[in-house]
Amino acid sequence: MAMEITQFLLSAQSADSKVRTEAEGNLRQFQEQNPPAFLLSLSAELSNNEKPTESRRLAGIVLKNSLDAKDAARKEHLVQQWMAVDIAIKSQIKDMLLKTLGSSVPEARHTSAQVIAKIAAIEIPRKAWPELIGSLLINMTQQDGPAALKQSTLESLGYVCEEISHEDLGQDEVNSVLTAVVQGMNLAEHSPEVRLAATRALHNALDFAQTNFENEMERNYIMKVVCETAMSKEAEIRQVAFECLVSIASTYYEVLEPYMQTLFELTSNAVKGDEESVALQAIEFWSSICDEEIELQEYEIAESGDSGPPHSRFIEKALSSLVPMLLETLLKQEEDQDQDDSIWNLSMAGGTCLGLVARTVGDAIVPLVMPFVEANILKMDWRCREAATYAFGSILEGPTVEKLSPLVHAGLEFLLNAMKDENSHVKDTTAWTLSRIFELLHTPATGFSVISPANLQRVVGVLLESIKDTPNVAEKVCGAIYYLAQGYEDAGTSSSLLSPYLPDIITCLMTTADRTDGGDSKLRSSAYETLNEVVRCSNITETSHIIAQLLPVIMNKLGQTVDIQIVSSDDREKQGDLQALLCGVLQVIIQKLSSTDDTKRVILQAADQIMILFLKVFACRSSTVHEEAMLAIGALAYATGLEFGKYMPEFHKYLEMGLQNFEEYQVCAISVGVVGDICRALDDKVLPYCDNIMSHLLKDLSSGELHRSVKPPIFSCFGDIALAIGQHFEKYLSYAIPMMQGAAEICAQMDTNDEEMMDYGNQLRRSIFEAYSGILQGFKNSKPELMLPHAAHLLKFIELVFRDRQREESVTKAAVAVMGDLADTLGPNIKILLKDRAFYAEFLGECLESDDEQLKETATWTQGMIGRVLVS
Amino acid sequence: MADEGLVSHKRDPLKSSVGNVAAHRRRQHAVTIGKERREAVVRTKRLCRVGISEDSDVSIDNDMVLDEEQSILEAQTSSAVKELKASVAYQGKGVMQRRVSAIRELRCLLSRSEFPPVEAALKAGAVPLLVQCLSFGSPDEQLLEAAWCLTNIAAGKPEETKTLLPALPLLIAHLGEKSSLPVAEQCAWALGNVAGEGEELRNVLLSQGALVPLARMMLPNKGSTVRTAAWALSNLIKGPDPRAATELIRIDGVLDAIARHLRKADEELATEVAWVVVYLSALSNTATSILVKSDVLQLLVERLATSNSLQLLIPVLRSLGNLVAGDTQTSNVLVPGHEITDNAIAALIKCLKSEHRVLKKEAAWVLSNIAAGSIEHKKLIYTSEAVPLLLRLLSTAPFDIRKEAAYALGNFCVAPTEGAGKPTLILEHLVSLVGRGCLPGFIDLVRSADTEAARLGLQFMEMVLRAMPNGEGPKLVEREDGIDAMERFQFHENEDLRNMANGLVDKYFGEDYGLDE
Repeated sequence: MAMEITQFLLSAQSADSKVRTEAEGNLRQFQEQNPPAFLLSLSAELSNNEKPTESRRLAGIVLKNSLDAKDAARKEHLVQQWMAVDIAIKSQIKDMLLKTLGSSVPEARHTSAQVIAKIAAIEIPRKAWPELIGSLLINMTQQDGPAALKQSTLESLGYVCEEISHEDLGQDEVNSVLTAVVQGMNLAEHSPEVRLAATRALHNALDFAQTNFENEMERNYIMKVVCETAMSKEAEIRQVAFECLVSIASTYYEVLEPYMQTLFELTSNAVKGDEESVALQAIEFWSSICDEEIELQEYEIAESGDSGPPHSRFIEKALSSLVPMLLETLLKQEEDQDQDDSIWNLSMAGGTCLGLVARTVGDAIVPLVMPFVEANILKMDWRCREAATYAFGSILEGPTVEKLSPLVHAGLEFLLNAMKDENSHVKDTTAWTLSRIFELLHTPATGFSVISPANLQRVVGVLLESIKDTPNVAEKVCGAIYYLAQGYEDAGTSSSLLSPYLPDIITCLMTTADRTDGGDSKLRSSAYETLNEVVRCSNITETSHIIAQLLPVIMNKLGQTVDIQIVSSDDREKQGDLQALLCGVLQVIIQKLSSTDDTKRVILQAADQIMILFLKVFACRSSTVHEEAMLAIGALAYATGLEFGKYMPEFHKYLEMGLQNFEEYQVCAISVGVVGDICRALDDKVLPYCDNIMSHLLKDLSSGELHRSVKPPIFSCFGDIALAIGQHFEKYLSYAIPMMQGAAEICAQMDTNDEEMMDYGNQLRRSIFEAYSGILQGFKNSKPELMLPHAAHLLKFIELVFRDRQREESVTKAAVAVMGDLADTLGPNIKILLKDRAFYAEFLGECLESDDEQLKETATWTQGMIGRVLVS
Repeated sequence: MADEGLVSHKRDPLKSSVGNVAAHRRRQHAVTIGKERREAVVRTKRLCRVGISEDSDVSIDNDMVLDEEQSILEAQTSSAVKELKASVAYQGKGVMQRRVSAIRELRCLLSRSEFPPVEAALKAGAVPLLVQCLSFGSPDEQLLEAAWCLTNIAAGKPEETKTLLPALPLLIAHLGEKSSLPVAEQCAWALGNVAGEGEELRNVLLSQGALVPLARMMLPNKGSTVRTAAWALSNLIKGPDPRAATELIRIDGVLDAIARHLRKADEELATEVAWVVVYLSALSNTATSILVKSDVLQLLVERLATSNSLQLLIPVLRSLGNLVAGDTQTSNVLVPGHEITDNAIAALIKCLKSEHRVLKKEAAWVLSNIAAGSIEHKKLIYTSEAVPLLLRLLSTAPFDIRKEAAYALGNFCVAPTEGAGKPTLILEHLVSLVGRGCLPGFIDLVRSADTEAARLGLQFMEMVLRAMPNGEGPKLVEREDGIDAMERFQFHENEDLRNMANGLVDKYFGEDYGLDE
């Protein structure tokens, strides 16, 4: 039943677009008409050594893409399609693929290994290909099997491990896979190609080795082989071996103790003398150890008293050798590394690791780093000055304020002067260090800051002068201003200190945003975001007039963007980016000025103009709505309250467009949030728009296309709508409730081992409760009986959530609150239900014992509500 | 997939620009604001207007705007405190009335929302004024309202509770017999909240003599006063210092009152009293030995048998377990053959069958304590319905319950030790329990990460290996994968367990094992 498709596959790669299109069409037609035959033909092509390499390669790629896709819905479709193929054909395909692993053509072998893994990803979790691992292992145990076969078999094993979960294999299989892989790394027996493939396979298989790492002998053996491989002659193999060590550091931290001496020597030699790709991984090893220890420390603080997993204090023990090694790397900067965000080199990795070390050990790092700083900060070579500054900036997070403040006080003036250094790298790093100082050591709200009324003028003066420097330096200066302003948030009277400088700061930031030498838009975006923070954190009573003056300036700029002439799609993108930044500024200004009654007037007076602008921005695009404009409209709705009603006839179509935007799901999520803002602004005046809004929201929920992260906000939004329109929610009830119940069922069946899934599950649970809360409170005074038929299901869901041990606190809060809402709204009607589900007492007991005051208060309220029902 | 080779381990550089992070944070911030506003809207709809006490004369004026925002509430609170200050300073006509209505206003504000404006009240200086209002000779109404305000303040955050320090001596003073009952109860309520806050404040209260007057309040027969006093007492004696518990049990009439309430009171009062017993028996040996000799044990058993209230059953079970575990002469009380013992076991069996995991776990724990007693005790429980229930729990329950069940089952098989050496076995029990399939459950415990459970499992396995007739032990253990379970300890960091497991493997599964077949 396999068809001859070589010619199609070759034509599909033709330079002639007509030929190509026609061939593609033929292939697609074949695929649609008879998927099993299509798959079989592709694998026949791939496995046939007589066919041209080009057609085989494309056959492999098409085959791979017929089994897996990035998009979840498409992927599910492909999986179903494969599962539906006749079992005889499937096994024919699999045999051909396994055979191809021994092909003499490297590309065919490689592609085949990948396709095997894709099939394994579908079949192994379903226990549909139990013989795969055995078949692959036979290739490895043939005494004098060809090296090529072993190489692609190892590749295949690695890919398979990458695709499946370690629970899908039995321990026997894991053991055999690991044995084969580790043997494949053996220097004496195998060629470099085989060893490289084996080392890569090990990297993917490490997650499977849990049990083996618990056994000392097996662990010793694996570690010995990895360490030996890390000293291979071939740099590429060394690099992958170090990548294995990085994985081991994070996965098996708790058993590393006996190997640390060796690992230190190994990584240290690599950092000092090996090629950069290897040295970077060696540094990454230590960064990963830091990650583990920082997490352990956070865990210790959170759960003091409980004996958690062991903290081996590797960083502390290695500190005196580790820090000098990292400091050395700082001197290996590249010219122009500051121009490009994508550069990652030894000095950047070393500084990043140094920062992690500081967070791990705190004060102990300071005496080890300061001599390096002092020795290098004045040297002639710019590399020394830059490295010294970078080292200082790296260790500002971790040590105590007491330890750092004398150093920072003493060094601040020096750093301010260094903003005039002759070298741009030095200035860049100095500005970044200043931003770190302001981020970490400038919190007047809690009483500590390196900034005083005495030095503020000098600091602002230097920053505003340096913001005129080269674009990369200016960007870092923006960061410094950002954190300087942020420090004054909620700082009471201290926040007055910055107020006199605000006009100058704002002017300079606006000038910076207008610069054209920035190359890309990074500097502009940093300048506007810094402006936002300055506005957001300012002392409103002293600065409202300045912000009020800024408003028309920004509005004017936004108005100009609408008239930009659009010729190319590039122009369109630039227009959109600029509009995004300006809408962001407007959002912050609206938020700020509407926070007091006095200043809200400014927004109310300008509201019509602002809204017209936003509508114009929306009109710039035909099919999508502007995310930032939508966000700003949310703020405007809150500020204007009922008045927002007059914009709805014009605005609702854009809102609905946003609610239908499946592709850019963030836009959809923000639109859903804006529905909430509007509900709170308009209350029952939102009613005329609710039919359309609800129908879009319900469609969104039923869609398989929409990103799942938008679904929880939609449920919360049900609550917002119900609160606003009260009894009128009745007509949506028969649609909304089944959705909520369905989602609750999904929560009950979630895979509790998948952390990301659990996180989503928690959001979903909370949002379902919020929906119920809104609906219950909405019906309380008019039609409480409508919710009576649904009370049992809700109570059951609450109980289910209560029994879940991985429940998050925010979920607990929402659950206990909705229990109170149920009692509050339905009253004596649910007395019997409550008596049947006595878990509520245990649940309340747990909440009342919590340390979280808000939770305790909510639980007390719920207790009161339930108490009232029970005594009634 | 891995077309591009392995993904490199690039992490975010420490040195980076502010732009992207800032935009992300700003959007997050906007979303958070939306959430906060949603919460505020729901919160105002939920406003709780019920005071803490059930007094019905304090109905809230319904004309008041109920949906106020917190900020309005706070502003009102500050001005209420201001008015109170003025009324305290005021000496003219109608002074009493003005003062009472000022405190009542404040109390209403503090009771109205589920987020009482405690901070605003404190900032405005409420506590010193309220202390003044508590001064001796003040009318009852004023005392009641002032104590009520303080009760609500004490229910706040820890640092807010601490602001009550200057008020404590007067609150304690008003517990005395000369006070009217509502005043005394309200004061007890406030003090209970304070005592619940932590050890430091408990010690202050004890040193100021709160224990005795509270204990006296518990003596009468009924009324909410008794319940409130019992609740406050259980907070006050929570320890960890056992002295207060010991002192309490020695106060004249307390033991009687406890027994009386456990015998006659409604479930709500019995619950609070049972909590007092929990802390007495958990902390103080003196109290334990006094309680064991009294009727209390009998009464706890009766409550356990008759009540269906989870709130009551939990403290009752815990008390019972404390008493059984704390007293070495349990046998003196729960004597096999006596009716009380049979009743106790029947009641515990009821709990083992219940749906509630807490009840199941605590009941298994109490049973294991009883099973640790004499041979007669073991035989008695052994012939009861408890064994099949425990066996089922051992194979199906969550880990913590399983462990308690295993303790109980293990205890059945070991006779009380006389002198040193390995404990003597009760072979009959061991053979029959193994025959009923308990071995896999114990072997499962050996595999757990909890060393205490693992030790228990190993000990049981040792008995099986050593004592099963016809040398059947090793075969049984092998069949249930016990060897594998023990071999996990080959390199275990706990030396004791390692030696124990290795010793067993060497002794019973050494070189000769299986040769004679």
